[in-house]
Parts: sequence; structure tokens; C-alpha cells
Amino acid sequence: MEFQLSVVLRNYPLLLAGAWMTLIITAIALTVGVTVGGVLCAARLSPVRWQRRFAASYILFFRVTPEMILIFWAYFCIPLVTGLRISGLWAGAIALGLVASAYYAEIFRAGIQALPKGQPEAALSLGMRGIPLWRFVILPQALRLMVPPLVNYFTELLKNTTLLSAIGVGDLALQAYLLGGKTYRYVEFLTAIAFIYFLIIFPLSLLSRRLEHQGGR
Amino acid sequence: MAFDINRYFDFAVIWRYLPALLVGLWTNLLLTVLGFVAGGVVLGTLLAFANLSKTRVVRWPAFAFVEFWRSTPLLVQAIWIHFAFPIITGYSTTPFQSGLLALVLNVAAYCSEIIRAGILGVPQGQYEAARALGLRATPLWGRVVLPQAMRLVIPPLVGTSISIFKATAILQVLAINDLMRAASRISSYTYKPIEIYTTTALLAFLAGLAITLGGARLEAVFRREAR
Repeated sequence: MEFQLSVVLRNYPLLLAGAWMTLIITAIALTVGVTVGGVLCAARLSPVRWQRRFAASYILFFRVTPEMILIFWAYFCIPLVTGLRISGLWAGAIALGLVASAYYAEIFRAGIQALPKGQPEAALSLGMRGIPLWRFVILPQALRLMVPPLVNYFTELLKNTTLLSAIGVGDLALQAYLLGGKTYRYVEFLTAIAFIYFLIIFPLSLLSRRLEHQGGR
Repeated sequence: MAFDINRYFDFAVIWRYLPALLVGLWTNLLLTVLGFVAGGVVLGTLLAFANLSKTRVVRWPAFAFVEFWRSTPLLVQAIWIHFAFPIITGYSTTPFQSGLLALVLNVAAYCSEIIRAGILGVPQGQYEAARALGLRATPLWGRVVLPQAMRLVIPPLVGTSISIFKATAILQVLAINDLMRAASRISSYTYKPIEIYTTTALLAFLAGLAITLGGARLEAVFRREAR
């Protein structure tokens, strides 16, 4: 067989639409993940016991249950339970976002707890509390520690967006699969998108490893 | 009128189809074990050593393989193996074989990095001391380096088992008769999606929980022995 790149290039509008869909899924899941993850992290570090327990159980549940099953649950059950009409895109992206929130919460918590105790104590003794304490002392240092794992999980999130193709969301993977079936040029389309994912994810993972080596400096 | 959960949630259908769901779950667990042993332990170790090799012809392909497989989604890898691979080689595989192959290669790429880090984690002084004592290659690796590397490698390696279990659910896109596929079929047959998918999610959560807790216990055992 011969590798026909032209058949891929000829069908670029559909692939572009798929890439756009992948971007939208990532954006929704990232927004949900960071927002809910921040709240969970606060609950996990809260002095109130039920909040800590709730956050810990939530994080455990979403970290051990396969994403694929949660996506299917969200897609088929949310409309029936709530009566809302919700598209596969939103159901799947929110499911991915909730999974991401569990990971982000743990990354945030690890970053905050990795700070030496002397830092918040020194700030408190200088009379800093609340927003200035977080804005000038804790967050600038903690964020630096969080960036490598955040980038790393972002690459996982990007890979997980392909799972939405199982519920019929037309992301890059599904478009390539459908085009492959239509033209019977599976090799070209699937190889092409594998390279596209590689070209996005590999630099990010290099960046994350590099930042990790530099440490919290 | 009192709230009656049976009006909203049909427990009979769950009991009726629970065995079928468990058979599906069994496939996921089987894939997890096969992926862990063949991919994580065997192929992962081979790749780790290839990646550490001083010979460039060995190191570069191993490096390229690991980086490529770590940077592409498993779903794409699985459909690539199932649909594109037969066109290139002329040899077609069943969905289960394709899924297993994709999983094994994917897990191997991940685990080879863990194993490589473990081997590199053994301090240089250990090699030097072993050589100073006149140990040749076989006892140097067998009695000095590997026992120490194993202690560094096993805890994080066991930790990947939950990721492997979660990844097996992705392989249902190839129509393997796993938990998800069983759930989809039963759900469309009985038209009870809430009951079936909720039970499926709970089963998967419990299996994942068991794997995580078992792994944590095993890790604790190895950490204690390492001291």
C-alpha cells in the first residue's frame, strides 16, 4: 500500500472541525476542573471535619472510577435524572472536568502544603492575614511548585478528550475514524491525527519535565 | 404518600443482570493483569534497559517509542492498531487482541520510565563499591544494583495498576465484551439506563477502590522492607 497524504489534506475542513471540538472540550473540562478543584482543595484543607471528609471521598471516587464509565453515566443518566436536555459535548466535558477537579485539588493541596510552615507563620507574625497572606506569600511560592504537575495533568486531560468520541462527539479522533471508514484510508487519517496529538502533547510534557528539574526556584 | 424508592429505581433489573455485568468486569480485570504483567513488568523492563543502553542504535528507537506512546491517546492507539495495522501488515487481529496489544504497548511506555528512574536512582557509589570489590557484571547487577532498584521501582509500579484499570475501559471502543459494552447492551435491551449505568459505575468504583487499597497495602509492605 502507499501512503497518500493528499487524501488527508483534501479533507482538512472536517479535521479542523474536529480539532476545534477537541479545543472546546478541553476548555470546558479545564474550566470546570480548575474551579471545582479549587473549591475542593479549600474543603480538603478546611478546619471543618465534614468538609474535609466530603472532599476526600469526592477525590477518591473520581480518581479510581474509569473516565469512560463516568462519561457514559453523564450522557445517559443526567437527562433522565434532571430532565435537562444536555448534549454529549456538555455531558462528557463536564464529566471530564469533574475528574480533572479531583486531580487539580490534589495538585493545589500538595503545592500549598509543600511550603515550609515558617512562611505563613512569618507572614502572620508580620500582621498579614486573609488576602494579602495568600496573594503575596503563599500563592506566589505555591504556584511555582504547582506548574509542572498542572501541565502534566493537562496533557492527560487532552488525551482524555478523545473518550468523548465514544458518545458521538465529533472531536479530532472521531472525525479521523469516520473519514478513515468513508475513504478506507485508515492508515493515513489515524497516523495523521496520532502525529497531531504527539506534536501538541510532547512539547508540553517536555516543558513539564524541564520545569520540574528546575524545582521551585 | 411515603417516598418509595422502588417507584424510581428498579432493583429487580439490577439483580437480574448483575452476573452479566460481573462477567464484563472480569474482562477489565483480566486486561488489567495482562497489561500490568506483559506491559509494565516484562516489556517495560526491556524498554528501560534499551533506553539506558550506551549503544545509540538501541537507545534511540526505545526513546522514540516511549515518547511517542506516552504522548498519544490510548484511544487513538487502539483504533490505529485495530484498523490501520491490518492494512499495513495484512494480518488482522480480533478486537480483544488489538485492545490488549495497544494496552500492553501503552503501559510498557509508561512503566519503562518508572523502571529507568529506579535504576538511575541507585547511587553511583554502589556500582563503584561493587567494582572495587571485584564483582563482575552478573553479580554486580544481580546482587547489588537490581535489589536496590526493585525497592525504588515496585511502589510506583504498583501505583500504575489503577491507571491501567481505568485505561481498560477505553478499549470498549473496539467492541470488546467488557463492563462498558455489557452495560450498553443491557441498557438498550431493558431500557433501564439509570439502573444499569449507575450499577456499572458503582462496580467500577469498587473494583478501582480494591485495586487502589490493595496497591497501597503492597506499597506499605515494600516501604517497610526497604528500611
